[in-house]
Amino acid sequence: MSIPPKTKAQWTDIVTGKKTFELKFLAAKILLGRLVRHVAEDPSADNVLAAVDQLHTLYEKNSASPAVQEDMQNIFG
Amino acid sequence: MEQDILTQAEVAQRILSGKTLLLAGDERLLAQLPKGKWIGGTIPYFITPSQGGLSSREKIFVTDISELAVSIEIKAYDENALGQVYCEEGDGGFSVIIIPALSPAHLAFALNAPNYKNFGAKPLVGWVSGVHLDDLGKATPKVFDGLTGESHGQKAVVMRVALAPGRAVDVGIVNIFEQGAGDILTFKEDGFSCHEVAVNGVNENFADYIKRNGLDTKLPLVADYYGVKVNVSFQSVGDSGGEVKFYAPVFSGARYKHARPVENYADAFSAELIKLGLSGDGIAFSCNCILNYLYLGLEGKGTASFVGPITFGEIAYQLLNQTLVYIKAH
Repeated sequence: MSIPPKTKAQWTDIVTGKKTFELKFLAAKILLGRLVRHVAEDPSADNVLAAVDQLHTLYEKNSASPAVQEDMQNIFG
Repeated sequence: MEQDILTQAEVAQRILSGKTLLLAGDERLLAQLPKGKWIGGTIPYFITPSQGGLSSREKIFVTDISELAVSIEIKAYDENALGQVYCEEGDGGFSVIIIPALSPAHLAFALNAPNYKNFGAKPLVGWVSGVHLDDLGKATPKVFDGLTGESHGQKAVVMRVALAPGRAVDVGIVNIFEQGAGDILTFKEDGFSCHEVAVNGVNENFADYIKRNGLDTKLPLVADYYGVKVNVSFQSVGDSGGEVKFYAPVFSGARYKHARPVENYADAFSAELIKLGLSGDGIAFSCNCILNYLYLGLEGKGTASFVGPITFGEIAYQLLNQTLVYIKAH
């Protein structure tokens, strides 16, 4: 399964906390616990981009996981 | 996928027949096993399929993952090399890690894993090996590399598993603890101990706060990581003005609350499984915490299809406390 490109607005919405999703993929939840906090402390464009990059890479590397596929369906429809 | 408690001879027979195994047991038993495709860690406590929680120095808990594994590699990591644990080559698959309690590798992983390069690039699950509670301070927790027959007291051992075609795994946790309704607790620095805590933003000595508020230290601190509950268990609380020690590090910036009391572990565990929509189907490995075993009285009690070693720390990408960790195979 391909992971939607990081230019999709949903990635930014997640790391900035603008939208919250009920995710299944444990590693993403643990990572987001830290990323959302860091982005809230420093919402600069560079920091948001770095967070999106890290989250997107995590999902890409685990694209075979059923939990990841469920999250992609949940986030992007 | 066999998960059961077996005699040393039964385990040796499985190793010699080429099975890929994750083992937990007494050091004396593990040290006498033949070389083969296995890793192991010392601990004499288990949740077994037939008898529930029990302690045995005479048997070994076996998790047979042969059905999932097309090939394996085993490698030992010291505290510095562990930073590369998510960077190894190869697509797909997963890794199982066992770390000796209180070793430099344990402390390094606990503090640094969330910031390791390529965090979560592959599923990483495992546990912290320990000793019989009667041997605390006398024996040293160990891990074993079955391929070489070597044991380590200071290094972690990692088995990298390449999955059979068409197979996939997910790592999950079952944590029965919820944040209570009390104060928000934050800490200035990452670490296994602290003197100060910020209580709703106001600094004070944490030991004094615990005593004044009568906190039950058998209940962990719980942080919410984007909907996943992450516990930090108390090890000790010093006298007035003293130090509070934990079994896993607190992290600066994370917002903790003291856990709500649990009346009955079995009921809470069942409720959590329902909440997670989780059945026992496909559970390839699980482990649970020695503190749950002790505080919630798991001896002689089962946890549904979730069987395995009782550990000095659980690992699902990072170190966890008072939590059941599992691999689900698809």
